[in-house]
Amino acid sequence: MKRMNIVLTACILLLAAVSAKAQEGGLKVDLYYNYSNPVGSFKNNYISNSSPRGVAGDVMYNINRQWSAGLYFGYQDYYQKYPRSTYHTAPGEDISAVVSNSVQTAPFMAKGVFTPLGNKLSIVQPYISAAAGVNFITDKQYLGQFGTSNTAGRFIAQGGAGVQINFGRLSDAGITLGAVYNYAPYNRFGVGSLNSIDFQAGVHFPLR
Amino acid sequence: MSTRILLLCTAFAAAVAGTGCTKQPLDHISQDESRIYITNFDSTANFKSYNTYTISDSVAVISDQSHKMESGSTDQAYLAAVKKYMQQQGYTYVARTANPDLAVNVNRIYNTTSGVISYGDYWDYYGGYWDPFYYGYGGYGYGIPYYGYSVYSITEGAMSVDLLDLKNAAAKKEINIIWTGLIRGSGIFNTSVADAQVQALFTQSPYLTNK
Repeated sequence: MKRMNIVLTACILLLAAVSAKAQEGGLKVDLYYNYSNPVGSFKNNYISNSSPRGVAGDVMYNINRQWSAGLYFGYQDYYQKYPRSTYHTAPGEDISAVVSNSVQTAPFMAKGVFTPLGNKLSIVQPYISAAAGVNFITDKQYLGQFGTSNTAGRFIAQGGAGVQINFGRLSDAGITLGAVYNYAPYNRFGVGSLNSIDFQAGVHFPLR
Repeated sequence: MSTRILLLCTAFAAAVAGTGCTKQPLDHISQDESRIYITNFDSTANFKSYNTYTISDSVAVISDQSHKMESGSTDQAYLAAVKKYMQQQGYTYVARTANPDLAVNVNRIYNTTSGVISYGDYWDYYGGYWDPFYYGYGGYGYGIPYYGYSVYSITEGAMSVDLLDLKNAAAKKEINIIWTGLIRGSGIFNTSVADAQVQALFTQSPYLTNK
């Protein structure tokens, strides 16, 4: 019981500390709809279709009015079906199949954002961002109805730019429009990477 | 302000829900697209050197390492299709007792255990269901001079067609399998699709001809 009390007290103190930081104007949340376009070998060798099925978000701590740092997370689903074709898979062996490729990525990254006009009371605030972390990948390939699956965690880095349009000069909430480039090494089925250029649209608001 | 944020979040959530989460590949293929056709051949075989073949009037039904012969309407449709395309490729059907160059086995395979199947496994499991004595080569074994199928787990049935080299069996003292075709996927045990399935195997094997 004594141990439980200590844990509860620690949790309450932690919540109070986070709450105090938030009230200081520190924490902000971004939620995005994410439209992803595969590039490079991902596009050329595996899935060329753009993916409209994605979400992303981050929780950022405002170090000052220009710099913020936090955690980024996302989820994207890629899918493509190729018409029936015959593949030469080994000496003397051929397989005729409709091939379907399906990839899901879930990046989890540390992120930093620089807002050059942050010291000015401007409704439109351009920003640039950088992030790096782990990309959790599920990769399935089907020959007809027969599939193989692979899961992996790989390095991912991200650079981005965009604008935040606040609801007013004194408001910390508004909409966000941006684009990011994802550098995502991956090696399977002749795919060298899962790089992509993503367009993001969403909302941001302070946590308080 | 909080009402506006709540509305924004609701709109965002609705937009996300509208995009759907994950597209399931198996929900987006038809029965025809579910099928795969795998062929293998012995690269040392000269298919032009064979002229005649024989084929049984029944199909071997292989299920969990046991087998029996059956001759239902679907089986007959597959046998007829094999005869049709063998003839189109220039091979002449003869009776089993007429010293044929090739023997054709047609097999219906059911495997209720999931696992890995390569061609070697396939023959380890089922080898001998066509007794070599059936072809007049009692005492000989079967040989597989090439690497087997790619690796996929069997969750449904399959049809396979094997081409056996009887012409050189005496010299090699074994019956080599020189070509195999495997059909897997939904709806293959159906009389109406048998011809198209066998045609697919022969179409992707242009070397299989004596012309």
